[in-house]
Amino acid sequence: MLKHDVVIVGAGLAGLRAAVELRKKGIDAVIVSKVYPTRSHSGAAQGGVNAAFDENDSWESHFFDTVKGSDYLGDQDAIEILTSEAPGNILELQSMGVVFNRNDKGGIAQRPFGGQSFPRSCYYADAVGHMMLHGLFDNVLKYKTKIMYEYFVTSLLTDNGKVSGVVAYDIKNGKFEGVAAKAVLFATGGYGQVYSSNTNALINTGDGMAISINAGVPLMDMEFVQFHPTTLKSTGILVTEGARGEGAYLLNSLGVRFMSKYAPKAMELAPRDVVARAEQTEINEGRGVDGAILLDIRHLGKERIMERLPQIMQLSIDFEGVNPIHEPIPIRPGAHYSMGGIKTDYNGRTVIEGYYSAGESACVSVHGANRLGGNSLLDTVVFGRRAGIDIAEYLKSAEGDRKFDESAIKRDEEKFEKLKKSAGKERHGLLKSELQEEMRAGVGVFREENAMKKALEKIGELKERAKNIGIDDKSKTFNTDIVEAFEFNNILLIAEVITRGAILRKESRGAHYRTDFPERDDSNWLKHTLATLDGNGNVKFDFSEVAITKFKPQPRTY
Amino acid sequence: MEFKVRAYRFNPETDEKPYYKEYTVEDYPGMTVLNALIKIKSELDGTLSFRRSCRSAICGSCAMKINGITKLACKTQVSLEIDKFGIINVEPLANMPVIRDLIVDQEVFFDKIKAIKPYLLGQREDDAHNRFKTLKEGEKISQPVYDKSEFKNLTGNEDTPNCILCECCYSECGGVVGNKDYLGPAALAKLYRYAEDPRDNDKNGSRLVNGSMPNGFWDCVHCQACEQFCPKGISPVKSIVRLHEKSIKNSITFSPGSKHVVSIARSIGETGRLDEIKVAFESGGVTGLLNDLPVAFGAGLKGKIPPLRLKLIKDMEDIRLAYKELDLEDKL
Repeated sequence: MLKHDVVIVGAGLAGLRAAVELRKKGIDAVIVSKVYPTRSHSGAAQGGVNAAFDENDSWESHFFDTVKGSDYLGDQDAIEILTSEAPGNILELQSMGVVFNRNDKGGIAQRPFGGQSFPRSCYYADAVGHMMLHGLFDNVLKYKTKIMYEYFVTSLLTDNGKVSGVVAYDIKNGKFEGVAAKAVLFATGGYGQVYSSNTNALINTGDGMAISINAGVPLMDMEFVQFHPTTLKSTGILVTEGARGEGAYLLNSLGVRFMSKYAPKAMELAPRDVVARAEQTEINEGRGVDGAILLDIRHLGKERIMERLPQIMQLSIDFEGVNPIHEPIPIRPGAHYSMGGIKTDYNGRTVIEGYYSAGESACVSVHGANRLGGNSLLDTVVFGRRAGIDIAEYLKSAEGDRKFDESAIKRDEEKFEKLKKSAGKERHGLLKSELQEEMRAGVGVFREENAMKKALEKIGELKERAKNIGIDDKSKTFNTDIVEAFEFNNILLIAEVITRGAILRKESRGAHYRTDFPERDDSNWLKHTLATLDGNGNVKFDFSEVAITKFKPQPRTY
Repeated sequence: MEFKVRAYRFNPETDEKPYYKEYTVEDYPGMTVLNALIKIKSELDGTLSFRRSCRSAICGSCAMKINGITKLACKTQVSLEIDKFGIINVEPLANMPVIRDLIVDQEVFFDKIKAIKPYLLGQREDDAHNRFKTLKEGEKISQPVYDKSEFKNLTGNEDTPNCILCECCYSECGGVVGNKDYLGPAALAKLYRYAEDPRDNDKNGSRLVNGSMPNGFWDCVHCQACEQFCPKGISPVKSIVRLHEKSIKNSITFSPGSKHVVSIARSIGETGRLDEIKVAFESGGVTGLLNDLPVAFGAGLKGKIPPLRLKLIKDMEDIRLAYKELDLEDKL
């Protein structure tokens, strides 16, 4: 068994940012990740990270935009922290080595993003997530951080209400390892693989969220799933909001910029929930082009496209067979981001002492019912950093005498062995496709009670069939078959929590739009949902108050 | 349409040596090689092992040899490969040991990345902006000013910060084939990325000194494979050549490679000709000269004997003009 002061699970931006904070102080923190850090999905973020720098901009304006963007479900005390710490965080990253494009005055270049009243998204062409991920990874190397890569975490352990460590499966050799720690941070990202047609990496299977709810930590606001308006029609690969930030048009089959109907002021730069619904409405009403909408950047000209949007140009050519310099790109809404997650406070703390979460896996909540583009990268560094600082403080007073339950290692090992021996005929890869398709159809951009209940039935059926999963691979060396089987269990559980939350919330707010309850209902639903599991593994819900400090809820139009 | 995938298989627990296994897959428009592998794994054979994550050419997980050429499986269209080869052959990357099937051990690759110190060295004294600050109501933050031109080699599409560490270049690198300790293109491109960063505070030029050591940027064999096979359109060899230039400009010329370049430039500048004996001596000293003896002897047997005294060429004026143009007048 290994022993460290802190275990950080996940090596995307939030995990790496926390690691830098801890290692800078010389704290014994280890990173555990199921992939090598640079393979983390933060690297796929394209368009920008928000911070108010311009003399005509203010962090208070960013604060309000984010509250309004969240459809007033975001906690305002947390959003105040997010936005007032944004510029300081970006400059700190810059001094660590992250490169941003420059404006003519020599400052960081910024572009407009959806739902923002000022151009405040800092960028590195259309690969800012990649730049930040590699920049932070380099800093993690600078501070000589131990990285346990290609380890799949299977359990979170506690002793007497305090965290005591994790159990992890070494994918490389099939051995289980216990890692005892006084503090554990989950920065495990989202669950995009719950849906077909998503922008997410294949590794985004909500593992951290599933482990947390199993360990008794509530998941908050899980019904709020962001559908990104511009994902490639055939593959769901992301096309940055930065394209619209640079001036792209959205066109229907009649060649009309239809956003004038849905958001006459903001047009293409309305928030993502608004644009995704507008697109889906156009498609549903027969004004789509082969089930898609067209994203037109031709008028930006070759030079600007090559300079500002080189990655999406290449992605369109390689994955859609379309050169956006000459033709519009067929796009459609795709599952993108989880507003909900492991409930934390604004220092990353959860209900279990010593157990933290940050980044997409966490729900602080700064995004409420809808996240604004450019706020997720910001969320990872602001709250990754804060969690790191809080953990360092916590360690000063944390008692070290907690017990690590070593029988848990054996228990997880037996679970894996049992699956290897199963004679079941169900293939997890096929079950996953069935789940993804059902979730897209039933709990997507537009939601309605009957379709969601049908999805829930399907989930019930899949839970039964999952008991008969058999795997082909019985070996210990790099057995990805068995890892994928457990990842499937995770997304299945997350899908159930999303669906039950969505059925429960009888209103429309942000990304959660119900055709049977099309209005926002502040008197009954201005509250967070908290999902936990009862003794029989059934999902149950509680509620908590939304922190409203400065901005009273108003109607939300763009 | 159905097509065949022929996959390299090896599981150290059960196989004495690698073998190939064929799978038949149903095609669909836009199918990538990664899609095909995922289909095989989920429907036909869960034991086929490979790395994958983003499926959009940004994470660098799924680099492998496809029909003999190192590529990212996620951005390789099945139809194009079938048109050309009639089959999809998939094999693991070269220059790294195979763990299983299409999965290689990347430890050495990443150790080399770590070895070049991939981060800013020190903190510039004038950088007052590295301290974090929470803004109060009405408060603004001032930012450091850098001219666009200071980042000109770091912000272009094909500049080295776009590297995704996928190991394609490393797998194809001729330098690594000849010398497994050679740092390789990705690590050296990263070294260049930090050497070129205006914020780097490498006062004593330690980056360029370390990079000039054996296994560093002078060991590149200039085969250009790294540029040819980079799935992101980056040219590591260009970064390596720029490191050569940078180190010579900074008079870091202790390595045989740099001495070789300086000596050739001087020889051409002096006579317009390559004085091979002198260049060999100036690059490697007496030992170098002795090491080169067998080659020289072999060349002599074939009748290639370098003249002991070189005559100036007729068009020396052109050489002088070219050197002036290239800012190399001190080599005349």
